[in-house]
Amino acid sequence: MVVIYIKAAWRSILKNKLFSFINVLGLSIGICSAMVIGAIVYFDFSFDTFHKDKDKIYRVTTVFESNGNQFSNRGVAVPIMRTFQEGMPGVELAAPFMSANFFKVENKLQDLTFKNIENSILADNNYFELFEYDWLAGDSRSALSNPAQVVLSENKAQRYFPHTPVSDVVGKTLIYNDSISVKVSGVVADFKQNSDFKFTEFMSLSSAKMFGAKDIVTNDQWNGTSSGDQLFFKVKDEASVTLVESRLKELAKEHKNKAEWAANDERNFILQPLTNLHFGGPYGEYPFNNSNHVASIKVLKSLGFVALFLLLLGCANFINLNSAQALTRAKEIGIRKTLGSSKKQVVRQFLLETFILTCIAAILSLVLAPLLLRQFIDFLPADINLSILYSLKGALGILVLIVLVSFLSGFYPAFVLSGFRPVSVLKGQFSKGDKGVRLRKTLTVFQFVVAQVFVIATLLVTKQLHYVMNKDMGLKTNATAYISTPWNNSTDVQKERLFNAVKNIQELSNVSWGGNPPASNNYSTSMLTYFKEDAEMHQQTQMLWGDVNYLNTYKIPLLSGRQMLNDSVKEYIVNEAFAKEVGFQNTADVVGTFVKMDTLKIPIVGLMRDFHQHSLRSDIGPMAITGDWPDDDYPMFNKIHFDLGENSENWTNSVKQIEQAWASVYPDEEVQVQFMDEIVEGFYRTERSTVQLLTWATGLSILISCMGLLGLVVYTTEKRVKEIGVRKVLGANLAQLNMELSKEFLILIGIAFLISVPISWYLIQEWIQNFAYKTALSWWVFLTSGIGMVLVALAVIGTRTYRTANINPVESLRAE
Amino acid sequence: MLLQLNNIFKWVQSGGQRIFLLKDINLEVKEGEFISIMGPSGSGKSTLLNVIGMLDTFDEGEYHFLEDSVHNLKEKHRSNLYKEYIGFVFQSYHLLDDLTVQENLEMPLIYKKFKGSERKAMVADMLDRFNIVGKKDLFPAQLSGGQQQLVGIARALISNPKLILADEPTGNLNSKQGEEIMDLFKQLNDEGVTIIQVTHSEKNAEYGSRIINLLDGRMI
Ligand SMILES: Nc1ncnc2c1ncn2[C@@H]1O[C@H](COP(=O)(O)OP(=O)(O)OP(=O)(O)O)[C@@H](O)[C@H]1O
Ligand SMILES: [Mg+2]
Repeated sequence: MVVIYIKAAWRSILKNKLFSFINVLGLSIGICSAMVIGAIVYFDFSFDTFHKDKDKIYRVTTVFESNGNQFSNRGVAVPIMRTFQEGMPGVELAAPFMSANFFKVENKLQDLTFKNIENSILADNNYFELFEYDWLAGDSRSALSNPAQVVLSENKAQRYFPHTPVSDVVGKTLIYNDSISVKVSGVVADFKQNSDFKFTEFMSLSSAKMFGAKDIVTNDQWNGTSSGDQLFFKVKDEASVTLVESRLKELAKEHKNKAEWAANDERNFILQPLTNLHFGGPYGEYPFNNSNHVASIKVLKSLGFVALFLLLLGCANFINLNSAQALTRAKEIGIRKTLGSSKKQVVRQFLLETFILTCIAAILSLVLAPLLLRQFIDFLPADINLSILYSLKGALGILVLIVLVSFLSGFYPAFVLSGFRPVSVLKGQFSKGDKGVRLRKTLTVFQFVVAQVFVIATLLVTKQLHYVMNKDMGLKTNATAYISTPWNNSTDVQKERLFNAVKNIQELSNVSWGGNPPASNNYSTSMLTYFKEDAEMHQQTQMLWGDVNYLNTYKIPLLSGRQMLNDSVKEYIVNEAFAKEVGFQNTADVVGTFVKMDTLKIPIVGLMRDFHQHSLRSDIGPMAITGDWPDDDYPMFNKIHFDLGENSENWTNSVKQIEQAWASVYPDEEVQVQFMDEIVEGFYRTERSTVQLLTWATGLSILISCMGLLGLVVYTTEKRVKEIGVRKVLGANLAQLNMELSKEFLILIGIAFLISVPISWYLIQEWIQNFAYKTALSWWVFLTSGIGMVLVALAVIGTRTYRTANINPVESLRAE
Repeated sequence: MLLQLNNIFKWVQSGGQRIFLLKDINLEVKEGEFISIMGPSGSGKSTLLNVIGMLDTFDEGEYHFLEDSVHNLKEKHRSNLYKEYIGFVFQSYHLLDDLTVQENLEMPLIYKKFKGSERKAMVADMLDRFNIVGKKDLFPAQLSGGQQQLVGIARALISNPKLILADEPTGNLNSKQGEEIMDLFKQLNDEGVTIIQVTHSEKNAEYGSRIINLLDGRMI
């Protein structure tokens, strides 16, 4: 008997082609978004779920508090690793590891050299006991017992030893950093499932000394925290967690920084569960130093909301059209009832019909999903895909989605239909009791509220993005750029040669040495001690390093005082924010005062104008620039900054010359010219992806809503054909008729607008709090979007009303 | 006693006035009767049949169907009565437009939860009996008025109802077809089926055992 229902359902779907089309398209947009977003969410939740005892594994992280500011570091001070190694109550197994920086690996046998060694760490056997790898060769219990041993992942092994079976790789020798010879002691399979542990090269921890890395055995730097120094461990049982936490608290207290300036600072060791690693939020955006994918619960949540709303819009369409259409189907219901159909059977029949439509929509969605995903590929991790949709889990998910959507959209219309009394239907009296009208109006308003909120949000987010990207940063971002010299293996002579070669390029001007560019994502701060009325004052200060030309390269003006005398003299130039922070009403007065460093008194010789050091999310903070006078021989000048000139047509040529200059000094390395305006653009990557997402959501929601509107208009005008005929005979003109027909819809859209304004205002208000510098939430944005929506709606309504109004009255009146 | 109507009134409100569609109807129908309702157009025949068939409500009076008081019946119970007892033949056919002739005939059987094989057999039998085998895959819109009426009758009879309510079942048939239908009704009636038909034709009315005449909603 189901067959005959399906047949009838299918025929009725075909009979109402326009309505069915609108229904299916609306639903499939919703379902498609839900699928794509579902796949994205699933992807992020599927990380590191496969480890044995994953609920017992934790990472120790560090959280600092200073003057009410909190910042955190996903690493720990090295000595605490030793403490764990020596034994902690409640800890079953501790596995410290550190990111390693090898600049060169050689396979002498096959005469192969590798540079840019990525994803390598220093680890010990405990690492492999804590995280189970599939060992293709070697012994997990002893592979990292001794110095100069390395375990490779299968992929890495294949790269270092091409055409060599893994079993033969073990025992082979690699030469690291020109001179250190290391034996391969094992090969493990790369994790097949999603994991943030992307390490592919595991050097034994006991080799640390050979590589000049921090040595756990001897290191005593309780106050140095580096994000590459990782400490994972497994607790004995649930109850041990608090035990470990309280011991960590004691340790933090015992080893508090005794320096005077740190008196008010706090440092705590906080446990982060492995299951939380991927969404590491407070412990740094990325799970590890070598991670390249940020997962944020907040972003996933907003994505979820977008999917939910698009789904609801599709359902609303469905409910709307089907309860409107109900009247035309009422006769059928009446007959069925006299044939003995119960109310339940009618409901079932219509739910089945909805189910079929939803299935069609779902199939369509599967086809559309890859296209939609491609729109967002820019800000999604590269290895994301939709394969989950085609797996058993995905199929079940889709089925649940289909059933849910069918119910949500089919239930009300089915109920309306089943409630008709046969006789009123059979006698054609149903037009009076059109109860669904209120509901349909409400749903239409709902749809347009959602669409309108999306429109306003998109406009305002775009406006803010435009504002921050175009606001004067206080420095020259156009045509300025820099190159970084290799961080290893680079002698002063080489650097000097490169500098001179770059300086000799005709088109470049203001070539200067420096550290980081004036605006970047880097935070290098120092605690400067400032004398004030005999008292000492500690000021957390963002540091820049540059030669005497540096400020000029970026056109940062001096407001008072002078340039530094030379590139390595111990002098500071500070910004206005610094002057204000240490208490100068008249900022110029800061010039001529001193900053204390150890026993030295370093003069502040100049005042530079404030400029934005970071994105406009943050305020301008105290800042100082100084020359290259490193305290531990570590050169502060490692970047050459320059101006490419106003004529951008020459830029490619200039870049080519820079590459040539580079090649003559560093033939083995690659150069990358970093443009300042690209860096600034990079500050707003999330915002740009937000705009992209919002634009899509807006387009789709308008599309669904307008289709729903079209459906309703078709229905209403068809019902009013006769009335229009009469009006026409009475002398109404086209414009009047159009107005008459459009009126009720425009009122709905007006109401939707009024509701959406406060909602979108509130949402944007919340969002824009992320920024220290905000664009105005201008009233004209709201008004424009409202008018735009009305125009779009009018166009939709017009296509239909115009036709109706044009029907020859004789035809419409004869129909009875 | 199959059904009993006592002092049934039905009216509609129009401009502050009551327009009576049925006035003081008293009617008893025993099982196995064959009743013809007659009267001029607009006299309330269809209205009365609808009330009897519980398709329509009434405003005053009492109606008992098989000892059940109809004004207290739940919808569910009512649909059971349709299913178990009553077959409707409508003046304007009321076939399901989206279903073929065959499927239209099958529908009441589905609601009665017959098995697929049984349904097939019964439908085939009915198609044969009404001589419409060739039309079985056509949709109602593809049939003539008379053919639609035949399908409507066949659909009413297929589930072997105990009570047939027929509103001008032969209105669109030629006289020979009409006679055949009437003979069929007679035969069913002899087998114990109760029949109430509305008709304009004196000749058809003669098939019945009793004639009820209506005028302006009143029995005369
Ligand atoms: N909902 C209603 N509102 C007002 N009047 C109605 C309504 N339903 C029926 N009527 C009126 O009741 C009267 C009886 O209608 P009914 O359909 O029962 O007549 P009939 O005897 O079956 O006529 P015919 O032989 O033409 O089929 C008619 O005058 C009709 O106009
Ligand atoms: Mg009638």
